[in-house]
Amino acid sequence: MSVDTMEIAVDTSRYDRILNTIGAWALGLLWFLPLIYAVWTAFHPGAYATRFEPFAPLTLQNFVNAWNAAPFAHYFVNTVMLVTMVTLSQFVLCTLAAYAFARFEFPGKTLLFTLVLLQLLVMPEMLIVENYQTMRVLGLIDTIAAIALPYVASGFGIFLLRQTFMTVPKELEEAARIEGAGTLGILWKVYVPLAKPTYLAYGLVSVSYHWNNFLWPLIVTNSVETRPVTVGLSVFSSVDQGIDWSIITAATLMTSGPLLIAFLLFQRQFVQSFMRAGIK
Amino acid sequence: MSFMRKVGAGLGAAALSGLMASTAFAVDLQFYFPVAVGGKAATTIQELTDEYAAAHPDVKIDAVYAGSYQDTITKTLTAARGGTPPQLAVILSVDMFTLIDEDVIIPFDDVATTDEDKKWLTSFYPGFMDNSMTDGKTYGIPFQRSTPVMYWNKEAFKEAGLDPELPPATWDEMVEFGKKLTKKDANGTVTQWGLRIPSSGFPYWLFQGLTTENDVILANDAGNKTNFDDPKVVEALNFMVDLSKKHGIMQPGIIEWGATPKAFFERQAAIMWTTTGNLTNVRENAPFDFGVAMLPAHKRRGAPTGGGNFYIFKDSTDEQKAASLDFIKWITAPEQAARWTIATGYVAPSPAAWETQAMIDYVKGFPQALVAREQLEFAVAELATYQNQRVTGILNDALEAAITGTMSAEEALKNAQAEADKVLADYR
Repeated sequence: MSVDTMEIAVDTSRYDRILNTIGAWALGLLWFLPLIYAVWTAFHPGAYATRFEPFAPLTLQNFVNAWNAAPFAHYFVNTVMLVTMVTLSQFVLCTLAAYAFARFEFPGKTLLFTLVLLQLLVMPEMLIVENYQTMRVLGLIDTIAAIALPYVASGFGIFLLRQTFMTVPKELEEAARIEGAGTLGILWKVYVPLAKPTYLAYGLVSVSYHWNNFLWPLIVTNSVETRPVTVGLSVFSSVDQGIDWSIITAATLMTSGPLLIAFLLFQRQFVQSFMRAGIK
Repeated sequence: MSFMRKVGAGLGAAALSGLMASTAFAVDLQFYFPVAVGGKAATTIQELTDEYAAAHPDVKIDAVYAGSYQDTITKTLTAARGGTPPQLAVILSVDMFTLIDEDVIIPFDDVATTDEDKKWLTSFYPGFMDNSMTDGKTYGIPFQRSTPVMYWNKEAFKEAGLDPELPPATWDEMVEFGKKLTKKDANGTVTQWGLRIPSSGFPYWLFQGLTTENDVILANDAGNKTNFDDPKVVEALNFMVDLSKKHGIMQPGIIEWGATPKAFFERQAAIMWTTTGNLTNVRENAPFDFGVAMLPAHKRRGAPTGGGNFYIFKDSTDEQKAASLDFIKWITAPEQAARWTIATGYVAPSPAAWETQAMIDYVKGFPQALVAREQLEFAVAELATYQNQRVTGILNDALEAAITGTMSAEEALKNAQAEADKVLADYR
């Protein structure tokens, strides 16, 4: 009798595992499908864009065409500079603000924090005209700084880091203080190292957002010297002429390539830090 | 707002006087342009502006790619509200009322004052000027203009036992031919549709082909009253819905614009309606012999025009306005217009452009290009009203509701008219 139940138990657990595996694969494939299609289309001539033939001729011509259609080399440099600038400034600013909100008492703290949180409710697109005017007064129209500035004081970043800092045990801070660390020393030696997973997760979200951002960069910049890859990419999505899937997928793979590779390389760290930071 | 503008003008003037000091009489122009037909258009615009700048060392012209038509109007209005509008831009002809409403453009009549200039204003096809004038003033100069035409696959016509040189000339013929052209496999699945009229995104444009042919106009010239619930409009929409529902010659549901040329190349549809902006694309990529014809007639022949016009912006110095005018005159002049047409497929906007040698040679090798010009005679203004985005949006929603079958044509259009009335009431 007891042997029987054990067998059934083993059986169901094996069943469970198989079902889980199938489910995971199915979801994974579904999620991966657009990427598979993009790879297929990008490496084949246009005629095979909507037809599947296993032995269709391979080509790199789509990449060549896409690369030549816009000054992508320049755009890449701009995008990398942009995301570096945004993410680093966000880290500095959000860390300082979050530290203040998490560990200091000052008049108007709740009100100020509410204002910061309000930012999460406002779509950045609504502020385009206002931001543009500010950038013009600052004389920054058509610079990479103008693309970055409106995003530097990120409400999301402040909120996220504050929550993380608040989970740090006060005892650690006190211990550091006994060791003779000052206010900023404590931040640097205690809080920042403990919040590493949050930084990693937030950094990834921020980098991918700004890598993909289109409308604001298009509006605030005018020249090849300042524009990011997304603006170059948009030349291909011209509805009037019908979409050339081969070129557009090649260009998309090209522009998202660096991000994809970075993600694959740091996959484990990312997934872990997401789980710890609680962003989903 | 007005304070910002003044600051903007002040700064602009300061910058300009600074420039004046260094290089005598140099004028800086910023020119926003959209791209709706693929990468080649952007290169051609850049080439043309470079050429102009080379011939006019006193003018510095900065051509700025501004995305799709939608992106371009957003960028332009943002820049204008921020106090730094471009000096000139190519924007949809139907956005004229929006630009007037925002008070950011000037009529060409203000700057084109000599007799020669006035003659130039009348040198374009009247079909294109319908969308460029209001209140007797010209606000836009036609440049990248188009009109929808019908493309047909001659091989498919042959296979169906039709004369490959004879496209359908009326609605009835279109349905009749369409039935012959629709092919099904053994399971009853359609492998080739007779007809494809794309309806995603902005279905109102091709639908306006049908309403024009049914002899009804969708909005008045003043741009403040629509005609959506007219029985003839309802009739046109019922016809469009019946193409799938009753006659079974068109794929049911919303049909993608972007995928339409590809579907035509892959023989998923034997006839397609789409813009002349596609001519160069179809010529280069169709793997079979194809023809281009005017849209079929019903009560009359007809089609809307479409595409973008040049506008001159208000917040510029007189020198900049004069230089902008000069540039627009140059780029729409016959030789340049012909080059632009050949590179993109847009319809050359003046009769003189069609008489240039380049154009004559082009048409000789590719007579299909002539169809758009012939159709202009029957063309009407594209639907344009104040609050244009909202009003066309209302009509688009109604069309989609009828096409997907969630509402009857009559009900959908009646609702649309009521909503449009609400939006436009302030402009009457």
